[in-house]
Amino acid sequence: MLLICGTVPLADSILITGKAAFDGEKLLIAGKEISCTQGTAALVSAACVAASHCGILEPQVALAGDCGNGKGSRLIYNYLITQLPALSPTVLVLHYILPVMGLMKKVCDAAGKCPQKPVMIADASSMYAAKAAGLAPLFDIFTPDLCEMAFLADPEALHPAYVSRHLFGAEIAQAPELIASAFRHKNAARTLLLKGAIDHVIQDGKTIATIDKPDIPAMEAIGGTGDTISGMVGAFVAAGFAHTAAAISAAKANRRAAEIIGAKPATKIREIIAALPAAISD
Amino acid sequence: MFGKKNDSGFAGGGLIIFSNVEEAIRAEKVLKKGSYEVKLVAPPPDLRKGCDLALEINIVEETGIARMLLDGGATFVEILPIKGAGELLNIVKTKDFGEAIMVKAGNMKLTFDKRSGVVLNISGGGCPDIPYLHLNMIDKELSSLTRPKDNGYTLCALMLDRAYTEALEIRKKGTA
Repeated sequence: MLLICGTVPLADSILITGKAAFDGEKLLIAGKEISCTQGTAALVSAACVAASHCGILEPQVALAGDCGNGKGSRLIYNYLITQLPALSPTVLVLHYILPVMGLMKKVCDAAGKCPQKPVMIADASSMYAAKAAGLAPLFDIFTPDLCEMAFLADPEALHPAYVSRHLFGAEIAQAPELIASAFRHKNAARTLLLKGAIDHVIQDGKTIATIDKPDIPAMEAIGGTGDTISGMVGAFVAAGFAHTAAAISAAKANRRAAEIIGAKPATKIREIIAALPAAISD
Repeated sequence: MFGKKNDSGFAGGGLIIFSNVEEAIRAEKVLKKGSYEVKLVAPPPDLRKGCDLALEINIVEETGIARMLLDGGATFVEILPIKGAGELLNIVKTKDFGEAIMVKAGNMKLTFDKRSGVVLNISGGGCPDIPYLHLNMIDKELSSLTRPKDNGYTLCALMLDRAYTEALEIRKKGTA
């Protein structure tokens, strides 16, 4: 079972659990419509598309409304800390959840109590919490962008906003230095998918693949293009792909979807998600 | 002990520095009333700039905490991360897409239409207020918007605020 956890932009701090369904336009969780915006909603939508393509069950989700004050995030932490051993997913994707280092540690402890430890995937603020708390080696896959890669490379930073200037200024050509630093300081998961102008797939510190075509510069401006990749990675891993193969397939499908619709800076992420079925099938 | 994790799972990573003990105690009351998890601690010597009392906070919540202190009439010297760079990233870059400009501040990017000034997209970041801010800012004209730091709570919101103010400046120059 693929379990995805994260917050969505609802003012009410309520926890919503259940099966996710994406009908081509709308994301539905247990019959409730969630706006398909950037963030966890985009990740879940892309995971639904990829799961459907692979013929596996739709993702299970634990989403919570959170406008940033952390109330919804704490509902998710509590849900995972108390329920994870019983849920025992095969793949756990942690996404937009307010970083609270101590609570992330408890989530990792709970994952360790599952009959079989889930494949642990983190992106966005859950990746920030895992790194800041020194828990990165417990994770199987991180999916950072270049700025977040600089954050992983900085042994001291607790959030990407406080990354050292010399690391933040790094361009994609300096990715190998950032990757080496992240692994040297034990701030990386075993597999990394570095998302950027050139996507890098890294296993145990070694870059095993890069993807740079089709080149769609506007993707950097479109909110949610990183989220869709992470969602597809989760679904492909749940379908049995090797971690690096899942990363490569997701990166390629994302670029292809943007190409199919002729993505521009004004393109919305739901348009790219709508093109994912065709992109994955290519 | 400074920075020690307790049973509640609190390990904040940030400090509020005060000029005197009264300010620190008042700030603690204001933040606890606002349901923020905080802890009075002794700042390490290299971060000691006023009194011997500081408040440990979750540094990610810096934006919401600063706003609550100001609204609650509590004063402080500054908010600092316990480790790493002592200053927020202040690097702002732009990318011209022809019909649109993307402004990148730290880990956040805001893209607006050159002619209309409408926000086309917000990307980057990872904190929970970003999708919320995204939903409230997208497809609206820059000058009609509330600043992200006034609606957001996290460091990502603060970086988005920098991108937003820079975008406003670019827009003003472009239409002047």
